[in-house]
Amino acid sequence: MRKSRLVLAPAVMLAAAALVLSGCAAAEEETTTDAGSTTTDSTEEVAETYEVFALLPQGSDQAYGTFYVPAMEAAAAELGINLTITNSQYDGDKQASECEIAVAAKPDGIILWPAVGDAVRPCLEAAEAAGIPVTVTNSDLFDADKALSRGYSGPDTYGQGVSSAEIMCELVGDTPVNIIQLNGAPGNSTAIDRDNGFTDTVAANCPNVTILQEESTDWTKATAQQVASEMITAQGIDNIGGIYAADDSIAAGAIAALESRGVVAADYFITSIGNTFLGNPLVVAGSLDGTVFQSSSWDGENATRLMYAVLTGEIAAGEREVKFMPSVKVTAGNASDADVAPEW
Amino acid sequence: MTNQTVIKVGSTATGFWGKFRTVLARRTEGRAIVLFAIIATFVTVSQPLVFTAYQVTLGRIALIGLVALGLTAVILMGELDLSVASTLAVSGVIAVTVANQTNMAIGVLAALAAGVVVSLINAFFVAIVGINSFIATLGMLFALRGMAFVISDEAPVKLENTDLGIAFGQPLLGPLTPRILIFFLIFIAIQIFVSRVKAGREFLAVGGNRQAAYDAGIPVKRRIFTGFIISGVVAAIAGIINAVERTSADPTSGSTVLLASFAAAIIGGNYLKGGKGSIVGTLIGAASLGMLQVALTISGVQIPIQEIFIGGILLIAVITDPSSLRAVWGSLSTTFQGIKNSLAK
Repeated sequence: MRKSRLVLAPAVMLAAAALVLSGCAAAEEETTTDAGSTTTDSTEEVAETYEVFALLPQGSDQAYGTFYVPAMEAAAAELGINLTITNSQYDGDKQASECEIAVAAKPDGIILWPAVGDAVRPCLEAAEAAGIPVTVTNSDLFDADKALSRGYSGPDTYGQGVSSAEIMCELVGDTPVNIIQLNGAPGNSTAIDRDNGFTDTVAANCPNVTILQEESTDWTKATAQQVASEMITAQGIDNIGGIYAADDSIAAGAIAALESRGVVAADYFITSIGNTFLGNPLVVAGSLDGTVFQSSSWDGENATRLMYAVLTGEIAAGEREVKFMPSVKVTAGNASDADVAPEW
Repeated sequence: MTNQTVIKVGSTATGFWGKFRTVLARRTEGRAIVLFAIIATFVTVSQPLVFTAYQVTLGRIALIGLVALGLTAVILMGELDLSVASTLAVSGVIAVTVANQTNMAIGVLAALAAGVVVSLINAFFVAIVGINSFIATLGMLFALRGMAFVISDEAPVKLENTDLGIAFGQPLLGPLTPRILIFFLIFIAIQIFVSRVKAGREFLAVGGNRQAAYDAGIPVKRRIFTGFIISGVVAAIAGIINAVERTSADPTSGSTVLLASFAAAIIGGNYLKGGKGSIVGTLIGAASLGMLQVALTISGVQIPIQEIFIGGILLIAVITDPSSLRAVWGSLSTTFQGIKNSLAK
């Protein structure tokens, strides 16, 4: 009997808590409405501030985020936006839960960097139902979901793949070349877009380039080195004339794998994307033939500015603004220029 | 045999406080309740939205707690199941892939079957072959993760019936979504099994003293199979819920689930060595963790700081265990006695 009471106690407590809390929720709803009116009345005298949630899949735990977040925060401080930043660590389920929290907090807007492109539809639907505008940063939504957001700012991830392929095609000319391709993390929308951009352009512009094998990595140099080494073993070092890497860290790993075989990386056609602290010196040294500039600070800053444009009505309701980061090709000719100095 | 920890608390207690102390001493959830109260107070003061938007908080608790409930069945026997995170991923991918080709019901059945098969393999290696469960399920963790990538062709699998997925995420009973309702139903089912059904009650005996359990005629191997099946099937259910609710099955799904599940079980007073613990404790642990995570997320606290909070609570949960406290007290007494003796000389 006592055991039954002990077992039932938590369930009874939870049920009671739910009843009390639903009462609190109703009360809160009324309070919020009242508070809302007060805020509206006072906006004529005081500069308006906005509450915005930024649902990111990374932060200070990754090199890109380390420079992205401060730029985003600096722009927010300038524009009078109170940012609440989350980091789902590329876990789609966690980001979905964070989105539910954000919608419940009823902010003025949500900036979304999708952790998993395919999994954000429920989040977008919930935000729309709550009347909260959503803008997207860094990795755009799939076409079917774009109507649920008010804009995108960030790199043209497909275009980056195109640019990297154009560097490769220009270097190769008409010579038949076999290459291996190292992509980003499986399922990641940036990795998929870059892959599509590169392969489509190679097929169209330089069909003499044959992709012997392509494999995924986790964006890190260490994994890329291991994967590239296995691919070189599988295909034979003599059959490979070049490498496409989805970003500079991956390229650095692939170059290390080549050099560990006693060959000179400069003798191979190698292109990537990022122009990072790791990639830019490789371009200057000649090991990496070309990369594509991506500015983390531009990305973070413009994510905030785009949301501000939505909140202030600069972007009219029903419109969707797309703001692409300039994708500058970085090769030996301009790698040391100040305007393409690496940021991350 | 009961599911409560039996600790000798001296002679029969009388009076309210005596009985209260006896109950506290017998339960492993005492520390979990205290931690829960502290966290609830902290959250009430710092982020009342956690309570006003309680359906969101319950959703987070269900997200963390579902896998933890299944995992507890294995932990009570002194075993570990590290493969739950990958089981979650692969079952989600199977559910959506099969559902896209047939219908959702067949997809769900296929995913549940996958969960059962995975658990049987795990249990076979642990109970029959005799491999340590940490190692056996670690191997399965990697194998299933790879399988999820192979089946999904290394990309998220979109649920074609998107409307079904969106509807599944909507409240079904009052403010409660199907995820929350399923979570509570599974909690009740496992709790009844572990506390009321003979086979379930024997989990603690298997974890407490395996040789004694053998000697007492308990079918230990069969119990291990049962525990792993509960763990695997619950992880598969979590995978199906995640995939349907997000309208997409991600092969990388569940990357943060494993540690959160273990944290919920430990905060709930479950001993990783087995023999002590309860499903109620895991529920309280998941509730504490879920509330804290929602509060920290609303506050915009970054992941490293969140990890410090959660790590701190885990440490408190571990070091406030009565046996740990007794060990610390014993060690301190010996040290002070040694110092006292030295000074006396």
